[in-house]
Amino acid sequence: MDELELLKKDWKSRDSELPKLSYNEIYKMILKKSSSIVKWIFLISVIEFVLWSSIDIMVRLSGEYDDLEILGLENFSVISTILSYGILIYFIVRFYINYKNIKTTDSASVLMKNILNTRKTVKQYVWVNISFLSLTTLVVIMYMTFYTDTYEAQSADQNIPLYVVIITSVLVLAVFIGLLALLYRVVYGILTRRLKKNYQELQKLEV
Amino acid sequence: MKKELEHSFVTNLEQNQNIVHKVCRIYTNDPESHNDLFQEITIQLWKAYPKFRGESKFSTWMYRVSLNTAITLYRKSKRSIKTSDFDAMDFKITAEEYDDGVEQQLKLMYAAVKQLNDIEKALVFLYLEDKSYKEIAETMGISEVNARVKMNRVKTKLKKILNP
Repeated sequence: MDELELLKKDWKSRDSELPKLSYNEIYKMILKKSSSIVKWIFLISVIEFVLWSSIDIMVRLSGEYDDLEILGLENFSVISTILSYGILIYFIVRFYINYKNIKTTDSASVLMKNILNTRKTVKQYVWVNISFLSLTTLVVIMYMTFYTDTYEAQSADQNIPLYVVIITSVLVLAVFIGLLALLYRVVYGILTRRLKKNYQELQKLEV
Repeated sequence: MKKELEHSFVTNLEQNQNIVHKVCRIYTNDPESHNDLFQEITIQLWKAYPKFRGESKFSTWMYRVSLNTAITLYRKSKRSIKTSDFDAMDFKITAEEYDDGVEQQLKLMYAAVKQLNDIEKALVFLYLEDKSYKEIAETMGISEVNARVKMNRVKTKLKKILNP
């Protein structure tokens, strides 16, 4: 293409017009802090780990686990605790490994993939954590309903049919998860929209 | 030890700063954004420098880190202006250098390059810097065939922008 060759010739002849920074100006630059997207992703990811894992701690502090023991669910409580910390540790380790893999000296494609993977790990953690919390809540509710007289005692007082309780819980949970998904789309979108677009563009095979 | 490293890095970068400026030129439209991106690239180069073992030339290594920063790590600041405003600001062409036709054509070419997406800009940049398809493919992390195909597509796209 003639035009591009012309551009190349011109491009090369313009080196002299480029700005020239002095040794001191460059030196000052290396003392400054980065404001790259990787730094933001790291910060937000750490905040998310702290936030989501603290839900478990909050539930503990609120004394809900004591209730489980009264109900005769001690074993369930121990297993779910081990599982939830296992999940947390597994994802933190994966996140750390992915984060360490981010190197600006890799090719553009590998770099983008590693950044996206780091973000994906956090996203997976959040969903696994929510599913786990929902599942344990469901198990406890079921147990209370079918194996103890807690529910019967309560419903006799308030006169609420069982299906209303179940439908309401499912609806509340659905709305909660829906809102969260929306929030995620926004936060995740802002952080990685450009990155994803570029990654797809790079991977795309032209025909 | 740290002082030595700082000194060798700053000296190297000072000598090769043109590469970074040229990346900034392709990816930004005003002097402020240019400086912003230059700053971020410098930080990323400095962060990666302790692991630079000299297997490749300093300049080759710089192309990779600089482009990666521009495409992937850099968060575009809000103040970057619209393409239509940049026009002759950054690529002033003096009348005595070229005849009118060539001058006009080059102006349009630079404007057309500015309209490309991030990946296409990287391809054009490496092409303008006389990199082989093998090097382009390695820098971008795609196959050589894909690099050639993509480059051809960019050429077609540029043609379309120029002759709508």
